[in-house]
Formats: sequence, structure tokens, C-alpha cells
Amino acid sequence: MKKFILLGLIFSSVFMFNQKSFAQTVEEIISKANLAAYYAGNDGRSEVTMTITDSQSRIRKRVFQILRMDIEDAGQQKYYVYFSQPADVQDMVYMVWKYTDKDDDRWMYLPALDLVRRIAATDKRSSFVGSNFVYEDISGRNLDLDTHEMLASPADVYIIKNTPKDAGSVEFSYYIISIRKDNFLPVKAEYFDKQGKLSRVVEALEIKEIQGNPSVTKSKATDLASNSNTVIDFSNIKYDLGLEADIFSERYLRRPPRKWLEQ
Amino acid sequence: MVRAIRTIIIAVLIFGFSSGYAFAALQIGKNGLTVNGFIENDFGLKLGHDITKRDEFNFFEQRLQLKTKTYPEWNSLLEQWMAKIEAKADFSIDEYYNGRTNADLRVLSLGLAPADWLDLKIGRQVFTWGTGDYLFINDLFPKDYVSFYIGREDEYLKKPNDGIKVSFYADTLNADFILIPVFEPNTVFDGQRLSFFDSFQGGIAGINSDRHIIGPAKNPENAEYALRFYRNFESYETALYVFRGNYPSPRGYLNEMNRELFYPRLDVYGLSIRGPGLGGIVNAETGYYNSRQDEAGDNRLIENPMFKFLIGYSKDLGNDLSLGLQYLFEQTLEYDNYSKALLPADFVWDQYRHLNTLRLTKLYKSQTLRANLFIYFSPSDLDGYVRPSLDYDISDVLKLTFGANLPWGEDVYTEFGQTEHNKNIYTRLRYSF
Repeated sequence: MKKFILLGLIFSSVFMFNQKSFAQTVEEIISKANLAAYYAGNDGRSEVTMTITDSQSRIRKRVFQILRMDIEDAGQQKYYVYFSQPADVQDMVYMVWKYTDKDDDRWMYLPALDLVRRIAATDKRSSFVGSNFVYEDISGRNLDLDTHEMLASPADVYIIKNTPKDAGSVEFSYYIISIRKDNFLPVKAEYFDKQGKLSRVVEALEIKEIQGNPSVTKSKATDLASNSNTVIDFSNIKYDLGLEADIFSERYLRRPPRKWLEQ
Repeated sequence: MVRAIRTIIIAVLIFGFSSGYAFAALQIGKNGLTVNGFIENDFGLKLGHDITKRDEFNFFEQRLQLKTKTYPEWNSLLEQWMAKIEAKADFSIDEYYNGRTNADLRVLSLGLAPADWLDLKIGRQVFTWGTGDYLFINDLFPKDYVSFYIGREDEYLKKPNDGIKVSFYADTLNADFILIPVFEPNTVFDGQRLSFFDSFQGGIAGINSDRHIIGPAKNPENAEYALRFYRNFESYETALYVFRGNYPSPRGYLNEMNRELFYPRLDVYGLSIRGPGLGGIVNAETGYYNSRQDEAGDNRLIENPMFKFLIGYSKDLGNDLSLGLQYLFEQTLEYDNYSKALLPADFVWDQYRHLNTLRLTKLYKSQTLRANLFIYFSPSDLDGYVRPSLDYDISDVLKLTFGANLPWGEDVYTEFGQTEHNKNIYTRLRYSF
């Protein structure tokens, strides 16, 4: 009997050990994916064309440029988003100081009024400029907000289930993400609603290597409930431009940094 | 008849443009000078009755806006200084005044960045600072309150100035210095389009108002200066303001017999802070209004010195719903002197004024439909102003707006009470390119 218990203890501890090391691997994969998707280079710029197609096939277009600068890898970042289309939002600027330990700081500049507005935006699950992408798709979701579990590991991707620790804070019950083994880019995320039904899919449609960084150049978000989708085309991607932190300040909200925006 | 034809032409233009979806911006010349703008039709049905020029509507116009920007590189200095020229002009046909045409140059400016620590902007431009939402303490730059009350786009609340803005940047502190050589007043009600409280008439006046507003002489002594020092402490934005100029609205009697009003001299000193708090954004702003021609407050004909304080809070409630709350406190500082100086027939203003505002914004249909509600309410003046609006993006280029302007008040002489006969509901169809 004693032997049995001892054996059981050994087995369970071995099993626990295995589970633990397995879990660490998942955390590592998720962290690497976060770095690959949101922190490539020390900074970056890209031109973005967003094509939103609703259930009645009506098309809306958003065109903007994004400047990004990392303050620290996997940590604080600054974003500068300069709109050129549609015409009624032309020259508007949206600026974010992203934090991992507190709410982001966000500003909006309205050129017609010369107004710098502070935006209270704690809901990161709301739509980004009316598209099927949410704020967290654009600037990343804090890894600590979910628990991560490896579901499968076929030849070329890791398939990981992410369950929110605070279920009330999000519209999904969990999401399953596929991460490429060769470059750690997340290539697909499937969001399941509170009833466990697939509700939204975000996928990378095209990946190119730019300055040594595997980069998503085309991605798509599909909302299954509303039967609408948004395709993002990223062009003129550049990394390590040498952006300075003062670009992300009120001065450059009022005077967009043409040097970095029109290259 | 002429008006009807014109309206039809505008409507055809708007729908014609919008159906030709590919039509984007106008391109002029090889260098790609791009012209953007919009064309719109506005109509505001009047709900109240008074003795203004018209009773059926108080807002009916067609408007074309054209804007462009260019980066001149004619010589190496302009290139090195990152010169930018911006221009924006509005052309409108105002049916309220029987189809009167207006051309309004809103922006014509040259921006320069001669050094890492220095920016300049010279010419006609809009100046804005301060932390209030439709409430202004340290933003003494001119406003068009007629536009605001009839329902023109927010852009038209701010009037441009001819001026020079010099901005200095350092790690420890930034500064904006604005020089406005020629005073530009607020556009206030004159009784033609919007009725208001006219003390010379002893009540609400329309076209019967015969007061005169005398502007300051256009000489260097009457130039205005505005200064702002500001810096961030992490997520918190702080600023210190100084303004030296005139009341932007006519706050003094020049000559009672001749029914003449004027813009008394005014200095304002203020502070503001804005940053995260209570799960949203909190802002506070204060200003001391030194009425330089009535510092002791014993001149019943000129506005008393005042203290103003504002606190605001805005929060994202989730699901594209956001909330904004503000409280404004105003105190007449030399109230005893003011009270003693009053004559028996004078209207008496309170020493304290409290004003609250509420803003609710909700987005629907993938953010293409925006419902917005802004309410002013003063428990001390017992007046208020409700501004609901609904914006719908029919497409990326075509936007339809419905809104209303609903001021009311217990008394005829308070800020919103005096405007209560100007209630309207309005609609706007705008094609942007």
C-alpha cells in the first residue's frame, strides 16, 4: 500500500513536472508570437488600406499611415496614426501611448478645430475605425489577460487556446490562435462567443520578409454574425527608421512629421 | 423660384457626385496639388416664434468648402525649414438672407520649423487650447455662436484669426506664443437671425434691436497676446495660460444713451491639468479674469472681474458608448462694489453661476451611425440647452445629419434663456471629396 502511494506520488510529480514544462513552452511561444507580430524592429512605419465590406456588399475604405516606436520589447510602445481617407477624416491624427500595466493614453487631433482631444478609451474590444478589427488586433492584447493552453502541434503551426481570466471584460469566451513554427507569426485567430460558437476570424493572408522581419502584408477579419469583413493591406513597410520619441507628442499632432510619413 | 432652382441644382450636384463614386479629390497640375473639401445643404426649421427676420426657418444654406496644402521648396531655406502652406475657403449661399453669397477664407497660413526647438505659423488660422468640452475658460479665441446655435458643424464654432504662432519646445517645458495684431470678436446674436436679450429693449429682441457694437481701433496698442506654457508629467498634461486682449463678446456699455456696447480690456491667467483618473479621463481648468477697465468692480457698465473653475470627466462605458460630465463654476469677484453701483432700473446678475454639462455618444451599425447628446444645465440660472444629433454615413463620402438646438430658461436674461425662441431642428447632407 505504501509503495503504491509512493509510486502514485512519483507519477503525479513527474506528470506535474511535465505539465509545467509544457505550460512554460506555451508561454514562450505566445511571448515570441507577441514580439513577432507587434514588436518587429525598434520602430516601424506602414501605409494601411482598410477595406470594410458589410453584409450588403457595401464597401468603405480607410487609408492611414502608422508610425510605431517600441520603448521596450514586449512592453511600452507609441503609435501615431495619420488618416488620409475618407475625405472627412483627412489629416486627423490618432496617437496612442500603449502600456502593458495600465490603460493606454490616447489622443485625437481634429485639424479643422485645431483641437487636441484626450480620448477615454478603456474598451479595447471596440471596433477600430468602424472595421471588423478591434483595438487589440491593431496594437496587441496583453498576454497576462488570458491563460494559454496548447491544443495541438501539427507540422508547421502551434495551435493554442486562450481563455480570458476575466470573462466579463470581453465579448468572447475563448480564442484559438495558430502560430507558425518557423517565424512565430500568428496566422489565424478564431474567436468563440459566449455560447461557444465561432464568431470572428482574423487571419494573415500574405506574409513577406522585410528587412529580415517576417511581416504580415495582408490580413482579414471576418465577423460571422454580421456577415461582414475587413481586409487590411500594409504597404511601404519599413523598420528601424530611427524614429524619435518626440514624434509622439502634441507638437507633431499639430504638425504631422512629413519626413516620416511620406517616404 | 430662383431659390428652388438653386436648391435643386445643389441636390443634383450632391447626388451626382456621390453616385460617381470614383470621383475623389480634385488634382491640379503636375505637382499634385490636391484640393479636398465638401459640398453640403443645410436646412433648419425654426420651432419658436419671435421677431427675427424670418419665422419659418433660421438655417438654410448651401456651402462649398475647398482646401489644399503644399510644401513649397522654391528655395533651400523653405525646404530646410519644412515650409507648409495651407489654404481653406468656404463659399456659401445663405437663403436666410435671400440667397446672399459669402466667401470666407478660413485658413491661409505658412508653417515653418526653423529649428528643432522652434515652430512658426503665420497667417490666418484657427487657435485652440484648453480642456473644456464646449466650455471655454482659457480659450479666448473668437467663436461663432450663431453657427453653434443654428447647427452648423462644430468646425464653424471656431473662427479663424490673422496671427502669428511661435512654438518653443524643450525637454522641460514647451511654450506657445500667439500674437493677434487685429482683434477679432465673437459672432454674437444680432436679432436678425437669432433673438437674444437686449437690455436696451428691456427683454428679448429681434430685428427691433438697435444697439451698436464698437470694436477697438485697429492699432498696435490693441493687439492681443496669448501665451501657454505646457508640459506632460507622464500621462498628465499640465498647462499655464496668459491672455492679454479684450473680452471676445461685448461685455461693456460704451454709451448707454447711444446704445453702444464695446469689448472691454481683459487679462486672463489660468491653469489646467488633464489625465487618467477614476477609470476615465479627468480634467480641471481655472482662470482669473481681470477686467482691466473695471478692476475694482464698481463700474456697473463693465463686466466685473471673475474667477472661473471647470472640472470634467469622460469615460468609455464600452460597446461604443461614452459619457462626458462637466461642472463649471463662475464667481463675480467684486460683487459688493457691483451691487452698490447698480441703479434701480438695472438688471441684477447673480454672484455665482453653476453650470453642468452632459455628453453621451453612442455608435451603431459599425460606427456608421452616431447618436450624440449634449446638454447644458445651470441650476443657478435655471436654464439649459439640449443639443441632440444623429449622424449617418450613407457612404464614405455622403453623410446625413439630423439635429436639434433646444435652449430654454426660466428668465429671459440668462445665457440660454435669452435664446429660447431660437429652437430649431436641422438637417444636413454633405458630400466630401
